[in-house]
Amino acid sequence: MKDLFNLTGVEIAKAIKNGDLKEEAVYSSFKARIDKIDSSLNSFVQTYEKPVKSEGESRLSGVPIAVKDNICVKGKAITCSSKILSSHIAVYDATVVKKLKQAGLQIIGTTNMDEFAFGSSTENSCYGATKNPWDYTKVPGGSSGGSAAAVGARLAPFALGSDTGGSIRQPACFCGVVGFKPTYGRVSRYGLVAFASSLDQIGPITTNFVDCAYLLNIICGADDFDSTSSRISTGDFTKELNDDIENIKIGVPRQYFSEGLMLPVKEAVEEAINTFRKKKAKIIEIDLPHTEYAVAVYYIIASSEASSNLQRFDGIKYGVRQNAASLKEVYTHSRQQGFGEEAKRRIFLGTHSLSSGYYDAYYVKALKVRRLIKQDFDKAFSEVDVILTPTSPTPAFGMGAKSQDPLSMYLSDIYTISANLAGAPAVSFPCGFTKDNLPIGVQLIGKEFDEATLIRLGFSYQNCTEFHKRIPNI
Amino acid sequence: MSKFETVIGLEVHVQLKTKTKIFCSCSTEFQSPPNTNICPICSGYPGVLPVFNQRALELAIRVCLALRCRINNRIYFERKNYFYPDLPKGYQISQYKMPLGENGFLEVSSGKKIRINRVHLEEDAGKSVHKNKYSLVDFNRTGIPLLEIVSEPDIATPVEAADYLSCLKMILQYIGASDCDMEKGLLRCDANISLKQTEDKVLGTRVELKNMNTFKGVRDALGYEAARQEKVLERREKVYQETRLWDGNKGATAVMRTKEEACDYRYFPEPDLLDFFVPQEFIEKAEMYVKELPLEKKKRFIEEYKLIDSEVDVIISNIWLAEFFESVVKVYSKPKEISNWIIGPFLEQVNNLASDFNLVKISAQNFAKIIKYFSQGKLNNITAKRALSLVITTDEDADEVIEKEGLRQVSGEDELSGFVEEVIVANPKPASDYLEGKLSAIMFLVGQVMKKTRGKANPKVVRTILERRLKNEK
Repeated sequence: MKDLFNLTGVEIAKAIKNGDLKEEAVYSSFKARIDKIDSSLNSFVQTYEKPVKSEGESRLSGVPIAVKDNICVKGKAITCSSKILSSHIAVYDATVVKKLKQAGLQIIGTTNMDEFAFGSSTENSCYGATKNPWDYTKVPGGSSGGSAAAVGARLAPFALGSDTGGSIRQPACFCGVVGFKPTYGRVSRYGLVAFASSLDQIGPITTNFVDCAYLLNIICGADDFDSTSSRISTGDFTKELNDDIENIKIGVPRQYFSEGLMLPVKEAVEEAINTFRKKKAKIIEIDLPHTEYAVAVYYIIASSEASSNLQRFDGIKYGVRQNAASLKEVYTHSRQQGFGEEAKRRIFLGTHSLSSGYYDAYYVKALKVRRLIKQDFDKAFSEVDVILTPTSPTPAFGMGAKSQDPLSMYLSDIYTISANLAGAPAVSFPCGFTKDNLPIGVQLIGKEFDEATLIRLGFSYQNCTEFHKRIPNI
Repeated sequence: MSKFETVIGLEVHVQLKTKTKIFCSCSTEFQSPPNTNICPICSGYPGVLPVFNQRALELAIRVCLALRCRINNRIYFERKNYFYPDLPKGYQISQYKMPLGENGFLEVSSGKKIRINRVHLEEDAGKSVHKNKYSLVDFNRTGIPLLEIVSEPDIATPVEAADYLSCLKMILQYIGASDCDMEKGLLRCDANISLKQTEDKVLGTRVELKNMNTFKGVRDALGYEAARQEKVLERREKVYQETRLWDGNKGATAVMRTKEEACDYRYFPEPDLLDFFVPQEFIEKAEMYVKELPLEKKKRFIEEYKLIDSEVDVIISNIWLAEFFESVVKVYSKPKEISNWIIGPFLEQVNNLASDFNLVKISAQNFAKIIKYFSQGKLNNITAKRALSLVITTDEDADEVIEKEGLRQVSGEDELSGFVEEVIVANPKPASDYLEGKLSAIMFLVGQVMKKTRGKANPKVVRTILERRLKNEK
């Protein structure tokens, strides 16, 4: 048998079922690996001595899974990598956590992230930055950088992340793994600490599309506790693990291949297009004319919602309170000391965009442009089945390279943001490596509620390529 | 006479009569121990989401229709952002741009129509209790559904303001939307008041009054404030736009905050709740409640059924009761008898059912039967009440119950004389007392016969037999 850490989640589950592996031993092996490697990688915020699990059966029973530190696991610390929540224990299970438990998975711990998911590098964490498992001088991407790095380093077979503007896909791209953001409304957000409610979505980070399909089967579905969750049937995603992609129409938007895209990334993505072409998918050039506004629109809408979502962190009921002489000072001191720089920046940005006198010029205008971007997608999807783009214009960048320049950091999400604005499902998976051995990712964006086609294409791609099998040398 | 006109507008908040809160399933029960009717959702824990209680919408629509408002079919909520310890999310979910109802009116006792500007749904905040050196917060009230009803400045006097409130209260109680108990805080009222010279076209500077906890408080506070403003204006000074608190003990208002301290609430659409359209059946259902409003109904009942004021007030205090009354009248056209029975035994028994009319299952026909049998002498006061209690929640046929339980009144002298004999023999003392002129002793003997017949005997007949039998003996 292969080394445990080279097995996929589905393979581990099978081995447990056959009796070749013991659930407890699997857990302790991964735990030991985390203890050994994570002191330098820093992908976990906490690991659990005993797994969080309950009786339950599924095709993934017994497999360890990590969850991002913004997803509530009852009785465990949940901090969103923020000082202001550093003392907070979740009092209930997120719906996805309930589902993981019911499916018999073993939750092993929570992973590092940019504070409240604000960032693209996992450098904005009160626990310090997570490193990229392929090169410790590089960032793992963000904000789900802990989850992506952990899976990339095989510290867990898979993990959950959350994606508001690319926070699953961009780190998955930087860490050489599969990061899937389902359609908005596919996975319940109940128990996910909100960043931007109209954009947030939980999704899996895996090493391959088989695990991805099985995990999606578990976490997707309507939830009475989330009014924005969809009643549209999820079906069985594992039925899409099928190599036939003939005549699937793949749109390639010219706007995504222009300035700013680094050459090795461009070449790898074009090679991926060739692979699909060889498998008889149809490649069609398309237009997404409002692409250039996506980043601006996103930072107004996301920050506006965030500024309101973060109002509850006031030091009164939970989290860290700074005692002071007056109520107003309790608020200001608790928030001044509890929030990091980027969180403050977003709160300022959002508060300003919503304030009277600016609301129409910023927030309302942004909503209008969001509709135009959505219309771009609707129009494109009347011609094609999926859209293919690079995930990120560059491979993983250096630690600290962009942390002093928020704008250039924001631009690293330029290819991923539109899918959130449109509510569409999207996935990033590895399609090559730079000459420095850094992973390169390609993104597929699907029609709303058509995760199935993305899985089919991804599975088919991985059937004839080896990039997803490479493991960093650590 | 004053050369000023008083201009008053009222902002009323009423708690809607739902069993559970507006965005979670916590109980709305009043006076539970502090922080017992709470859950992660209404206490604003990280990661929770609201789910709208449709019952609140049903009741709110009844109110809008009763106040003859235009209903905005598209429902969406907005967030009102501000910091306060009793507001655990840091924002209140409310309606701003598009209230549920607009442009209605309320007819007050004088027949004058006070225009209603808007009616909107929102969640209540918690309750702060300020101690000497610290404050406490009770979240039981957090998330209780509130309806805010805002009038136009059409009210001319403090007395008219109090009358507006009592008319509003009567309607809301009648349609079952709210209990409107001001002492319990189920109805709260703020007022805007300004003065202007009769010939002035524009309104004067308004002052907002808060903390008036009774109808009398509203009247007194407005009276005080009108006089205060008049003095200010007569001194040719300016009335400042500010919020003032009424102090019932001092009988005066004092400044709470000035206009400069007003907060920018940064309203924006609540992204955790999707827009939806009011289902047509909600409106149809609500319309049944508001075809005839209490004042109209009262007039009609007095005319049509020849009932007196106080009787009608009880019967129309609840729409179900009023309809039940009329359906009984339809099958048994003795409104006075029915009214006596409803106000007496019927409501007494409903009281025993915790005043929950939903538990009452008796049909009009069945109830009419019991009243009729009583008036025909087939049932006496005791057995009729007993029959009612046996069928009120089951609607089992009264005839069958009377048969089964042997409740039919026994009036035949032959059947009763045996019991009379037994009682006289067993109670020689009262019998002789009676004969010695202590006439009241006979009531004891009647009672004994009633007891022996388990209440079935016709007490009048029993008394006649007893008197005859005792006198004959003499």
